[in-house]
Parts: sequence; structure tokens; C-alpha cells
Amino acid sequence: MNNFKIPAARSEDLIIQGLGEEVLVYDLKTDKAHCLNQTTAIVWNACDGKNSINKIIESLENQTGGKVSEDLVWLAIDLLNERNLLTEKNPQIFSKSNRREVLKKVGLASVVALPIIASLVAPTAAFAVACSGTVTNCVGCPDGTPCDVDMDTIIGMCLAGACAGD
Amino acid sequence: MRSNNLGFLTESGKPELQPIRFEAYGVGIEIGCNNSLILREIESRLPRIIPKETKHLKAKKFDHLFFIKEIPTDNLFEIYKNSKKIEWWTDKNALLDYLDSQLRVTIAEYAVSRVFIHAGVVSWKGNALVIPGKSYSGKTTLTAELIKRGAIYYSDEYAVIDERGYVHPFPKMLSIRGIIDEFTQVDFKPEDLGGKIGTEPLPVKLVLITEFEKNAVWKPSRLKTGEGIIDILRHTLPTRLKPAFTLRVISKMAKHAVITKSKRGEVGKFAQDLIHYMETVST
Repeated sequence: MNNFKIPAARSEDLIIQGLGEEVLVYDLKTDKAHCLNQTTAIVWNACDGKNSINKIIESLENQTGGKVSEDLVWLAIDLLNERNLLTEKNPQIFSKSNRREVLKKVGLASVVALPIIASLVAPTAAFAVACSGTVTNCVGCPDGTPCDVDMDTIIGMCLAGACAGD
Repeated sequence: MRSNNLGFLTESGKPELQPIRFEAYGVGIEIGCNNSLILREIESRLPRIIPKETKHLKAKKFDHLFFIKEIPTDNLFEIYKNSKKIEWWTDKNALLDYLDSQLRVTIAEYAVSRVFIHAGVVSWKGNALVIPGKSYSGKTTLTAELIKRGAIYYSDEYAVIDERGYVHPFPKMLSIRGIIDEFTQVDFKPEDLGGKIGTEPLPVKLVLITEFEKNAVWKPSRLKTGEGIIDILRHTLPTRLKPAFTLRVISKMAKHAVITKSKRGEVGKFAQDLIHYMETVST
């Protein structure tokens, strides 16, 4: 964590919508929508590029009324970094297995909710209608959409509106 | 040979066929074809695409141009959208079905002042229930079952949301699969199921995220608003085109709604549990 630059929240090319405790963020560069839970949203707001980690902890404690560990803040920052919501991309702080361990440890000790970001790649209009998952009808779906017309075990791909290779 | 305004060549001396022009939700659509019989058939199918009861906004221009080119020598139909070939078919009915879906998606994506969510919608005692889902997810089956139990029909395809977050009727006929085979849709009027069509925009009380799973039972799990919105965006058409507007409208809709997730098993029992939930849940 020593090499991690004091983080600043990204604001360019983002649409930000407050929802009470949560924050919705739409990344115009990647067409991804993110929902930051309260813990992550507070950390993100406190990331101004000047605040130290201790200041961010303080901010989180003030707004949640609970004691917060440094690991919990780093977990939130790691998530924000992973989703490109900070101005500079840093190397990941926790490996996947390491993150699970820290989550367990922090989760047991903390009264503050664990940091969570739910994300979604915004679908194209055709995908929003008919083309998520494996479709049974390729009409209107982009080429490459997984399809299974015969409802058998062989999955094909939509090609020019028809299921090929099924 | 000369070129018409879509860039297609027509035989010299023959009068150009008058294209169909219509507008819906502020989206202007023009459909041309080099075969007058097909063009008339398309015209007769328009009520399938946009319900007659729908209130339209005026389009400023006809900016989505479709053209069907029949090539009789090759027994082929090509579809062009804005002068670009997007598809071809050898079967006329498949071509017309494809055109229907293209027209609907275009209107739903480009609609002015409205956000379209791919969803079934009914009202129950003056409150709207929105059931987002992809095609073949059982939206229509559940919508039809709710109508049989007294719900008012709003749509089996799109929840049309205005800037206040209210849902408007989009009462196309219910297209139910599973009667002829599992792919062919048979259209029913809501009245055929003993139902009525809603006319007024309504606030949304409940958004149900569900998908069919054999033997699943009603087990509602309430989502936080933001978390629920992420699920709703999966089925929202103009997100990429108008992200700021879409997020604002969906947030307004969701602000006073309960967003709940549950797998769906047998439709009758599920509908009964859902109605009970709708009556008892508070926002």
C-alpha cells in the first residue's frame, strides 16, 4: 500500500446520481454503470487527492458513527481503483484471495457495512430486449450472441439473425 | 435508373411507391419498399408495433428510414436502415417479424422524454407493478395471469416511464407463446382474458426482478434502490444513447418504489403471492 498514491475521485466523463446513501455512477468512457454502497460512496467522496488515509477513515467514522479499520478503507479504495473511479490507475492492493481474507477479518470486526460496488455494462438496445444470456431467437440480436434454438446442450452463436452452429 | 431519397435505384418511368410515414414518442419513421403489396402489409401490421391507444408526441423529423428491397429473381428480401443493409431474409413472414422488432426497438431507444424498459406492466388497486425481463423470461405469462386475477393491463413489452417517474400504458396485444409451439406468438386482447386496459400514468409501487426456475417458490428479497436500479438498467433501452436522462428518470421511478427479487415457479401460486405482497408491502 506504500506505493499507492493518495487517491482522488475521478469526475471527468462520469454521470453521478445520488440516491440517499448510495451513489450511481455512469462511466461514459466504458458505458458501465456502478452502484456504490454507503461505505464506498463516503470513501469516494473523501478521495480528493489531498486527504490522507487517516483523514478518509475519520470522514467515514464521522458519517457512519462506527469505528473503522484502515483495511476497510483500503478495500473500498481498491474497489474504486479496480472500477476506474479514481483519477490514476494504481496496481491492485489486494489479490483476490487476499481480499477474501481481509473481507472476512474486517467483516467480523466492523459495524460499518463492507464496501460494495455493483456494476453493469450498459446493454445496447437490442441486448436490453432480447439478447442477454443464451437466446432462443436471434432476431434483433447482434452477431456473436450465444443462442440455443433447439434447447439442446450445444450452444451456437447468432449470425445475421439466425442461430449458427446450434 | 435514378436514385430515390434513400439512395436506392428505382426503374426509370415507374412511379416511386409512396413510403409509409408515422411518428411515435417523438420518433419519426419512414418505411419504403419496392413492392406495393408488401408495403400495404407492413402498414396493416403497424397496430401490432405501436398500440392504437398510445398517445404520441410529435416528431420533428423522420430520421429513421427503413427500406425493404424485394429481389424476386433471388427470392430474397433485404432490409436497409438509414441506407445501410442490416439484414436479409428469404421468408417474407420472418422479414416482417424482424421489421416489427426493429421498429419497436428503434422507437423505444430514441423516444423523446420517455425511457423504455423491456418489461411487463400491470396496475393493482391504482399502483403500478413493473416486471422487467428479457424475451422468453415469462413476462407475458405472469402479466396474463395477473390480468386474469383482476389486474389492469398496461403492457407486456415496455414500461414507458416519463420524467416524473410515472409509467404510461403501452397496451399492445399480449403475445403469448406456448399455444402453437414455444416460439410462435399468438396475440390476445387483454379483454379476452377478462381484463381492462389502463389509461392513466401511474407511480410505480413495485418493481419485480424475476426469472423462471422450475419448482421455485415465492421468496422475496428486497433490494436497495441503487442495487435495484442496476438490475433495471439491464433491460433499459436508451441507457447508452441518453445515460444522464435515463439515470435521472429511472432514479425518480425507483425512489418511491420497492424493488424486489424472487425466482418464479408455477405462475398461478406465484401471482397469488405477488398480489398479496403488493398489497402489504410499504415503501
